[in-house]
Amino acid sequence: MSNQEVFDPYVLGIFCNWCSYAGADGAGTSRMQRPANLRIVRVMCGGRVDPQFVINAFMNGADGVMVSHCHPGDCHYVEGNLKTVRKMPILKRYLEQFGINPKRLRYIFVSASEGVVLTEIAREFSEELKELGPNPIRGGN
Amino acid sequence: MASNELKFALFLGCVIPNRYPFIERATRAVAEKFKIELLDMKGASCCPAPGVFRGFDIDTWLVIGARNITIAEELGVDIALMCNGCYGSLLEVNHTLKHDKEKRRMVNEHLAKIGKEFKGSIEIRHVVDIFYNDIGPEKIKNRTKYGRKIPLNLNLALHYGCHLTKPKDIRPWGNDVENPTFFDELVEISGCKSLDYKDKNMCCGAGGGVRGAFKELSLDYTREKLENIAAANADAIITCCPFCHLQFDLGQVEVNNIFKDKISAPFKIPVLYFTQLIGLAMGMTPEELGLNVSPDLKGVPPFTAVKPVLKKIGENA
Amino acid sequence: MVKADNGIKITGKEPPKIGVYICWCGINIGGVVDVPKLCGYARTLPNVVLASEYKFMCSDIGQGMIMEDIKAGKVNRVVVSACSPRMHEETFRRACEEGGLNKYLFEQANIREHCTWVTMNDVPGATRIAKDHIRMAVAKSGQLKPLQITTVKVEPATLVVGAGIAGINAALDLANSGYKVYLVEKSPTVGGHMAQLDKTFPTMDCSSCITTPKMSEVARNPNIELMTYSEVVSLDGYVGNFQARIEKYPHYIDQNICTGCGHCIDICPVECANEFDLGMKPRKAIYLSFPQAVPGEYTIDMDHCIRCGICQEACPTSAVRYDDKPEYVDIKVGTIILATGFQPYDARRMGQYGFGKHKNVINALQMERLLSSYGPTEGKVKRPSDLKEPKSIVWVQCVGSREFTGKGRKYCSRVCCMYATKQARSYKEKHPDTQLFIFYIDLRAFGKGYEEFYNDTAKNYGIKFIRGRVAEILEGENDNVIIRAEDTTLQRPIELEVDMVVLSIGLEPREDIDDIARIFNVTATKTEDGFLMEAHPKLRPVDTLTEGIFVAGNVVGPKDIPDTVAQAKAAASSAATLMSQKEVEIIPYYATVLDHKCAGCKSCLALCPFNAITFNEIESVAEINDILCKGCGTCVAGCPSKAIVQNHFDDAQILPMIETAIFKKPKQEEVKVE
Repeated sequence: MSNQEVFDPYVLGIFCNWCSYAGADGAGTSRMQRPANLRIVRVMCGGRVDPQFVINAFMNGADGVMVSHCHPGDCHYVEGNLKTVRKMPILKRYLEQFGINPKRLRYIFVSASEGVVLTEIAREFSEELKELGPNPIRGGN
Repeated sequence: MASNELKFALFLGCVIPNRYPFIERATRAVAEKFKIELLDMKGASCCPAPGVFRGFDIDTWLVIGARNITIAEELGVDIALMCNGCYGSLLEVNHTLKHDKEKRRMVNEHLAKIGKEFKGSIEIRHVVDIFYNDIGPEKIKNRTKYGRKIPLNLNLALHYGCHLTKPKDIRPWGNDVENPTFFDELVEISGCKSLDYKDKNMCCGAGGGVRGAFKELSLDYTREKLENIAAANADAIITCCPFCHLQFDLGQVEVNNIFKDKISAPFKIPVLYFTQLIGLAMGMTPEELGLNVSPDLKGVPPFTAVKPVLKKIGENA
Repeated sequence: MVKADNGIKITGKEPPKIGVYICWCGINIGGVVDVPKLCGYARTLPNVVLASEYKFMCSDIGQGMIMEDIKAGKVNRVVVSACSPRMHEETFRRACEEGGLNKYLFEQANIREHCTWVTMNDVPGATRIAKDHIRMAVAKSGQLKPLQITTVKVEPATLVVGAGIAGINAALDLANSGYKVYLVEKSPTVGGHMAQLDKTFPTMDCSSCITTPKMSEVARNPNIELMTYSEVVSLDGYVGNFQARIEKYPHYIDQNICTGCGHCIDICPVECANEFDLGMKPRKAIYLSFPQAVPGEYTIDMDHCIRCGICQEACPTSAVRYDDKPEYVDIKVGTIILATGFQPYDARRMGQYGFGKHKNVINALQMERLLSSYGPTEGKVKRPSDLKEPKSIVWVQCVGSREFTGKGRKYCSRVCCMYATKQARSYKEKHPDTQLFIFYIDLRAFGKGYEEFYNDTAKNYGIKFIRGRVAEILEGENDNVIIRAEDTTLQRPIELEVDMVVLSIGLEPREDIDDIARIFNVTATKTEDGFLMEAHPKLRPVDTLTEGIFVAGNVVGPKDIPDTVAQAKAAASSAATLMSQKEVEIIPYYATVLDHKCAGCKSCLALCPFNAITFNEIESVAEINDILCKGCGTCVAGCPSKAIVQNHFDDAQILPMIETAIFKKPKQEEVKVE
């Protein structure tokens, strides 16, 4: 189906309902074009993001994972985003130990009005992943 | 840095060794009584002066200041100093170089030429800080309660000066430096009272290169301070900086001369450095504290007679 | 509350029969991807029994397709691939419900905003993503469980905490709508700070003239139970069903037989400061806060009473009771409105202004009392040192506000520019030959009629407005006050000697705001602001994140009287809306602790911002209140034993989405994950 020779990175996004998902909707409404790499899973709050999700994503072959939540202080459930952001550095170390380049995991803050920000980051992330190559589980680094 | 023993490298600066050596004498004498060990800093230079040097070139100021700091770093102790200006310089040089990687690199490049390196391993302490925070006004009060047969009972006009308290963010005085009280607490010993006088926190006029460049203007400041102090009926002025001390002491003579048409009568208020006061309260003799020189000796401080205050406390000078 | 399977009936053991409905959305989706081909793809996915497509799934016809298939028993799970669920999730859920399917067995795949609209020109790319999103939604829908919406009854009663102008207005609106209101006030009288003011800007209405009628009304209204000199000490429950315990402090006087003759006040030998007059006037240990206090109940201040017994003997009706004890009242309410107000900034913290040191430096609230006709000097402003009328006054603006050195607050207190202008004008009206100055940074005259009021005052009353923040205040001769500032407009320093200085102090959160936040389970803002946090700063200004609890007035932030009253009315309206529905629906995304997996580590307790998790000491397991739980899932992610499951967003539902997300070519190695 897809041409394996032309590497098109697979990016899985885990977005919170109130800010980031709405921001992504906003990007869509404004027709901001981006490369076809990002698939989005909706959770109610950033706090719901279990590191297991990220690990599973990589184990199943995702080339990049983008976790996106509300800006600190804006969480609809007060602090869920903060509780996840503090897990990220350790998660990155862990991924490194498993041979997955920590650059493949991005944690960003996108509010409901920041469709532009999301589009830019998505584009930039796709470029970076193209350089890094496919997920080592699929034969890259 | 020091644990329970108080050991410092004593930084002298310029005014004390060149013009007011008795300030060092008095400080050392009193420090000994409180078991504070003061080491010499071999090769120390001008701090350099915070107003003039920093005003001309910040990098030069940083390098020269850092060189002085390295002497104490090599001794492995914090710096103790007796001058507000040196405090302003060394404290701020130390803080800047501890936090600004670029400046630190620049400074160490220069210091490498003389085989020195700024490590950022020590703190800079003013003797007021040491007496207030390490020893504490309570202890000083206790040690000076029965130091004399008759307590001093003097009315004192304190002069904090400028660099001691400002900028407040890196100084150990807490939040309220608009109306500080820590220095007052230090000198309210042996029955002495610290007076509230108009514009107590005003500058003496000396610093910032003003005495050097605009002497009459700087003396106008001093005149205003002396008027306010005289109006409060002070027995003596207490300083914690040799430059302020010089401005009030030698400056008083100059004010009496230059402004003789403006002032009602010549000022005659003795000026004491605060360690001299502590020493007197502990029962030390004026000789030990450099307080008995008669104003007849030319060029030798004090220039404003201290006899009146010594007489008041019953010492025959 | 804790069962192994969420306590919700599982629909037997029947396998999921997923129906996928793909929307063209006109050309929005259909113009980019090949919808029929997507349908074909959907049919190849596990558990999918049918895949249909239509131009506009959200239309009646589109919804009809779904309902028919459900009624015909063809599907028991529905996936619609169309726009964002934030658009039409509710629409399709209702369609499912009408068709007879539990509305939570529906999932929506976003192939418009997240797909065709952002990759309009890359057809293979858009197709790939659309397929991935459909595949993910199908995977999740296979794991969805039916959920019941819990409804709770709402008690038609409100607790209003604080009886200042906000509390009073909210209480009256609700009482007049027919709801029972418990109005609790900590001080002995209602009225709050507004009763202390002289005139109000910009109309120069007499403050007590407009407040006292409301104060009487609130005492008279049959639906309002007024509890003054009382405090809420504990609160339990949840929206619609709050139980509060109120402590009524003892007055030491039997109010039923006290006639209010005032004899006791005359003969009491103890004098102390009157809080209402900011300490400028004495009162006796037995007192009435101010003449128009409502209720007019006398109180003995035991902090100052020496129990000499003179009042007890002298009282003609023997109403004095030294052995009076606090009384506790338990009430049940459906909604709560917090209107506890502010406290004025303590100007002693600004050492350089000399408040508390220099005799003739007072704060603005003290000035209000001096101007007030029932104040300590009966409306004739006299300066404290010699009780002479000041011939010159300086108002210092922004005392404790816009303060970045740590001695005050960073925010602007909103009302000070206006009240200083008002006070100056008020004084100048009676004393046209005085010199009045206002030293300001900016003049904030934002409200209706405010700019005109300021303009009029500046032009026609000869009050000098000088732009420059006052640096220090000294005492001169005769207790006169010297201020030093810079006149920034003329760019020169000013030193001014005047008779009196008024510090325009800012509005701060009350000292006990953390206690209030704790008892009522609402978050106090963690920013330096320090006030209570509203649910959303723009769209929900009187709601809190705790459902059923509303806020109004200065407890949320400094504001003037019109805004306070507006918020009070808004809070009353929100509370009434909730109570009029008689029942409230709880969204069933809550989490549940699995007893048998919970290790009792208590990690989850600290994670919940809504305090929905408690620890059962006897069984050593955590328990989640499914009504307080908002479904954020933080505890689910944080449980080390994976003992917490969540409705609709459980691991069992999300992990399949992730696992099927990446399209795996058949010959790739399958990595088995737990």
